[in-house]
Amino acid sequence: MRQALALLALAGVTLLTLGPDYGLGQLAFVATWAIAGLGLVIILGQSGQISLGHGAFLAVGAYLQAGWVALGGPPLVGLVVAITGGALLGALASLPGRRLGGLAFGMSTLAVALIVEEALVRFDGVTGGASGLSVPPLSLAGWAVVEPWHQFGASAAVLVLALLACRRLLNSRVGRAWRAVRDDEGAAAACGVDTAHAKWLAFAVGGGLGALAGALYAHWLGYLSPEQFGLQLSFELLMLVFVGGASRLMGAVWGAVVIVALPQLIALLRDALPAGVANLAGLELVAFGLVLVAVVLWRPAGLVR
Amino acid sequence: MLRRFLMALMAGVLAGGTALAEPGVTASTLRVGTIQDLSGPIAMLGAPIRDGMLLRFEEANARGGVHGRKLELRFEDSGYDPKRAVLATRKLLSRDKVFAFVGNLGTPVVMASMPLAIEAGRPHLFPFSPHQATYAPLHPLKFQLFAPYQDYMNAAVREMVARGGYTRVGLLFQDDDYGHEVKKGVEAGLAQRGMALVEAVGYKRGATDFASQIARLRAAGCDLVVLATVVRETVAAVSEARKTGWPVDMLVTASGYSAQTHELGGAAVEGLYGVSVMPLPYAEGANSALADWIERYRQRFGAAPNIWSAMGYNVADVFIQGLEAAGRELTAERFVSGMESVHTTRDFFGSPEYRFSATEHLGNRVGRLARITQGRWVLISDYLQ
Repeated sequence: MRQALALLALAGVTLLTLGPDYGLGQLAFVATWAIAGLGLVIILGQSGQISLGHGAFLAVGAYLQAGWVALGGPPLVGLVVAITGGALLGALASLPGRRLGGLAFGMSTLAVALIVEEALVRFDGVTGGASGLSVPPLSLAGWAVVEPWHQFGASAAVLVLALLACRRLLNSRVGRAWRAVRDDEGAAAACGVDTAHAKWLAFAVGGGLGALAGALYAHWLGYLSPEQFGLQLSFELLMLVFVGGASRLMGAVWGAVVIVALPQLIALLRDALPAGVANLAGLELVAFGLVLVAVVLWRPAGLVR
Repeated sequence: MLRRFLMALMAGVLAGGTALAEPGVTASTLRVGTIQDLSGPIAMLGAPIRDGMLLRFEEANARGGVHGRKLELRFEDSGYDPKRAVLATRKLLSRDKVFAFVGNLGTPVVMASMPLAIEAGRPHLFPFSPHQATYAPLHPLKFQLFAPYQDYMNAAVREMVARGGYTRVGLLFQDDDYGHEVKKGVEAGLAQRGMALVEAVGYKRGATDFASQIARLRAAGCDLVVLATVVRETVAAVSEARKTGWPVDMLVTASGYSAQTHELGGAAVEGLYGVSVMPLPYAEGANSALADWIERYRQRFGAAPNIWSAMGYNVADVFIQGLEAAGRELTAERFVSGMESVHTTRDFFGSPEYRFSATEHLGNRVGRLARITQGRWVLISDYLQ
């Protein structure tokens, strides 16, 4: 409750200082990235697996949604298609986990991201290849979601639903199995937990959430190209979860606030600096890095513990 | 409840703001925006482009501005990330209230931000992206300055064949949209001479070893190899050919026409042909106006300008010519009709003449041939038609 109030207050301040269009545009991306972060919290924080290629799930969701809409399918059903695609890819990505552990498995998830990015470039007949493809705005019952306010509303609604669903999952038998696997896989197996199934499920849920975020992102951005879903995105999402806190669902939300909004905040502060300092190339990158280091030093387990 | 609050907030902002005036335009100032990559993978392009634009704006302001308005450049860093570009666009539109977007950098950035700018009724001018959507289909608010790969490579290949009497032309291309665009242009140019490519070999972006590609081109008996490569790959490919004792003539696109090509390649790239859509601003042997410009740039930014600085300056210059043609009463429509009347003349850089009209918003389609002679690019033809 306190966190929800803090978020509301922050959103209010954002809107008042940035103005509605810019502020809501910002919040729409925060909410969307938080959905993707939720998936990673499940995989990383709850089931104790590692996913270095989370960007691949967003890519699959984004391209499936774009393709579905281009074929004339209803966008809401497209979201379901995207989630299914992401869940399937997640399940596939978790398969090497049956044989590999630790770093080796992490590398295999990295490979998934590389393969997906490469496939998007290769199958240019479907994906538009390296030159990318345009995505029309999300339309719900003939009503186009174009305004930042609508985009934020849609993303926030989906985020709340995703949060509720995840909380339910965590409180269920599945969530307990995940935590058992995370804390001690051997002990969990001895207690009768199907560890392989639990891991597989974590990746499917994480992949589905990633794809859901990707599908929304495709509409908000309006243009997709493979390079947007490179390793940089995967690492950005990892950073999001580490900064926000991998052990709590709300960690994804706070991580998204920091990762998406911080560069913008720095850009605003830069406007107030004298021109000589403000024009330095890479200034924003350095400031961003410093803040991240500070967060890690100050709260090594993330903002939400 | 929240919605009502937000609606009230929005209504308040709209009513309180200067809703009727043209965004970014006051009696004494004009504000425009640009989105550059200042921290991402192509930051070494973004910073000089921004500086070039700044220099031109400051010069215009020192002379009293355009129609009495001082120009103000608001720049945002996208880090080559389209998500940040969208946010930067929203910031420039709603907070800074820019009149137009000038010289945005990078295809993903441009493709994600352009629809927002257009929807807000803001001119989207001369982006650094070869994507066709930046000028076609014709849209009143979209203008482009830079020649597309297909068009200028078509003309360049025809000219090379006419000059050198080549009969077997091969192509080494980067296997992405850039490489494929060049390939289309080369094939079209050859077809007009009744020829076809004898061999086309691709490589993946980031490749460093070209031994097999060069061997295949050599086996095909090529007497001219067109390179759809960027700087590092150009140097690697030419060096590989020379290393294996193959003295074939090679022609690189404007992406390889860079001072870095001969700085990195040294003796190996001597004699390489290239296409230039704008001459490199060499300090040595510069005409007096160019030497003066280089000195002004150096004093202002403490570094020597490169081709990107010149392009940024050029973009800002053409924009200013459009503003001058638009007249004192400035609106987006007036600017567009002013811009459509602009025919630039050859400037001290030697850039092409940009011509716009009501039916043509792409200022230039041609390039000219250059060749590396004694460690620097020397222009060997005028702009090809």
